[in-house]
Amino acid sequence: MIRFNKWLVPTLYILFLMLPIYGLLSMSFKTTNEILGGFSFFPQEFTLANYKVIFTDPTWYNGYINSIIYVVINTLVSVTVALPAAYAFSRYRFLGDKHLFFWLLTNRMAPPAVFALPFFQLYSAINLFDTHIAVALAHCLFNIPLAVWILEGFMSGVPKELDETAFLDGYSFWRFFIRIFIPTIAAGIGVTMFFCFMYSWVELLLAKTLTSVEAKPIAATMTRTASSSGYELGLLAAAGSLTIVPGAIVIYFVRNYIAKGFALGRV
Amino acid sequence: MARIRFRDVRHAYPPPKGQEPVYALNEINQVWEDGGAYALLGPSGCGKTTLLNIISGLLTPSEGEILFDGKEVTDLPTSARQIAQVFQFPVVYDTMSVFDNLAFPLRNRGMDEKLVQQRVEQIAEMLDLTDNLKKRASGLTADGKQKISLGRGLVRSDVNAILFDEPLTVIDPHLKWQLRSKLKELHQQVGVTMIYVTHDQVEALTFAEKVVVMYEGIVVQVGTPVELFNHPRHTFVGYFIGSPGMNVLPCSIDGGQPVFGKNLLNIESRIKGQLQGKLEVGIRPEFVEFSDDGIPVKIEKVEDLGRYQVLTLTHESEIIKMVMAEDQTVPSENPRIQFDPHHTKIYCDDWVVEEAVNE
Ligand SMILES: Nc1ncnc2c1ncn2[C@@H]1O[C@H](COP(=O)(O)OP(=O)(O)OP(=O)(O)O)[C@@H](O)[C@H]1O
Ligand SMILES: [Mg+2]
Repeated sequence: MIRFNKWLVPTLYILFLMLPIYGLLSMSFKTTNEILGGFSFFPQEFTLANYKVIFTDPTWYNGYINSIIYVVINTLVSVTVALPAAYAFSRYRFLGDKHLFFWLLTNRMAPPAVFALPFFQLYSAINLFDTHIAVALAHCLFNIPLAVWILEGFMSGVPKELDETAFLDGYSFWRFFIRIFIPTIAAGIGVTMFFCFMYSWVELLLAKTLTSVEAKPIAATMTRTASSSGYELGLLAAAGSLTIVPGAIVIYFVRNYIAKGFALGRV
Repeated sequence: MARIRFRDVRHAYPPPKGQEPVYALNEINQVWEDGGAYALLGPSGCGKTTLLNIISGLLTPSEGEILFDGKEVTDLPTSARQIAQVFQFPVVYDTMSVFDNLAFPLRNRGMDEKLVQQRVEQIAEMLDLTDNLKKRASGLTADGKQKISLGRGLVRSDVNAILFDEPLTVIDPHLKWQLRSKLKELHQQVGVTMIYVTHDQVEALTFAEKVVVMYEGIVVQVGTPVELFNHPRHTFVGYFIGSPGMNVLPCSIDGGQPVFGKNLLNIESRIKGQLQGKLEVGIRPEFVEFSDDGIPVKIEKVEDLGRYQVLTLTHESEIIKMVMAEDQTVPSENPRIQFDPHHTKIYCDDWVVEEAVNE
């Protein structure tokens, strides 16, 4: 009885979580008519037509490519900038370090919408509007503080004697930082990249405001599918299912690191 | 190899906002002779680690200079100083194998790979790490990791000095003893300067030729274990070295002779001149004995420690410790004690009064 109970609750919970995802997936294999016709648990006429449209029509697949480009740029920039900053916070005491650390985090407390207009004006002025860089940099405003915070936690877990030993053994600072320190906190970097990736991937408002055609993200494409033939629900479901894929892949790679990150108390 | 010299070195860490800096090291003038085996002994927080970090260049002192063989190195970075240092807790490069960890300092100095191989195997042999050479360093126990740290410190034979900062803290007692004798053996073979920090006097006295005793940021005495035992220059050395530590009792001076309570004490020579400050008389428990006439005491406690007994006595409100051979008996009534005049020392503001020592 007890054994049974132990399994029951998590199983129900997972079913509850999986239900909408299953609904989305099954919808993506149905025709729009079937979806509008009423609810069915399995697709009656199984079709891959929705996916075929997405992989052949450039207005669709470009959305994915655009999203992936700015997300990757953002992740790389955030982590690269955050690494030395987090190192400074974890290793040195300097005037106002605690205040600066806190202030960095408060950036994340403002909703992105607050920054949409200023960014729009700024990027228009310097001709960055509708580029991947524009979105990537805008997301950095949120992701760099987060990255610094997560990385600082991991770095503080590494004793400063490691740094000192490397200097004693003849390494210069940068050689130590790149050859020894970064591999040592690889788990932390994995976790940080995951969070940067996720934020940037799901953020819609800034991404939509700062692009029009060239760098339009997939989520923006999805909100404009009220075509001449009405809502193409099957197509939308397929596009939605595909947006889950990159996240799932990233989670698969960093799952062990994330567990470690939780154990260390940051994240 | 080098003779390391501290000239007027002082160091203060950046103080918390709005506070005056406190000197963690205060006026150190000290020479570490080439090839010496030193123990650096002192209580927690007296500045031992700070001193080592200044030698290795991990810290730059706020004032004063460091010289290696007469050449100033105060601003030289750590990687250029050729110092090996082993910390209290194990530090290993997690991403490397045990072999690569040990080889790391050698390879960084561009040593020929064949020689690296030889040297690493030699050190691994000495530390019982041979079976683990191929394993990843992160997989070892704390003991094993600390052996790697030690090995990395010992692997180079061309360093100016090897600094050990309480390196055996995480090692279990049996192995501790073994490793300590290996370190000593290695010192005799290679003759490189070694400075060994500890706050365990037994460890210090067995390892070192010279013991440097630190207290609140200053070096209070440097000497052989015997010198420290027989002639403590500072009351702290008296307390800290020996077990139980020296008795330090308040006294006054009358006609050049110390007076404790109402008892005139004999010392080797009379004290000349006036002494200003807090006056105390120091006597080791080993040099206190029962006598027919002398200071009347009450016996509070007798502890039998096998080969000898430790007695706790009181005279008025002062506590006096005494060490006695196991076969001696405690007098049954009116016990009185006297102090051996050759080992009775006078301290003024905690520093020994030199006239009393010189014969
Ligand atoms: N990074 C630091 N910042 C500020 N103060 C420090 C720092 N490191 C040490 N101190 C202070 O300097 C003094 C000397 O410290 P140090 O670490 O040299 O002592 P220690 O003799 O090595 O002690 P232990 O036996 O505990 O290792 C202490 O009062 C300590 O609080
Ligand atoms: Mg210390």
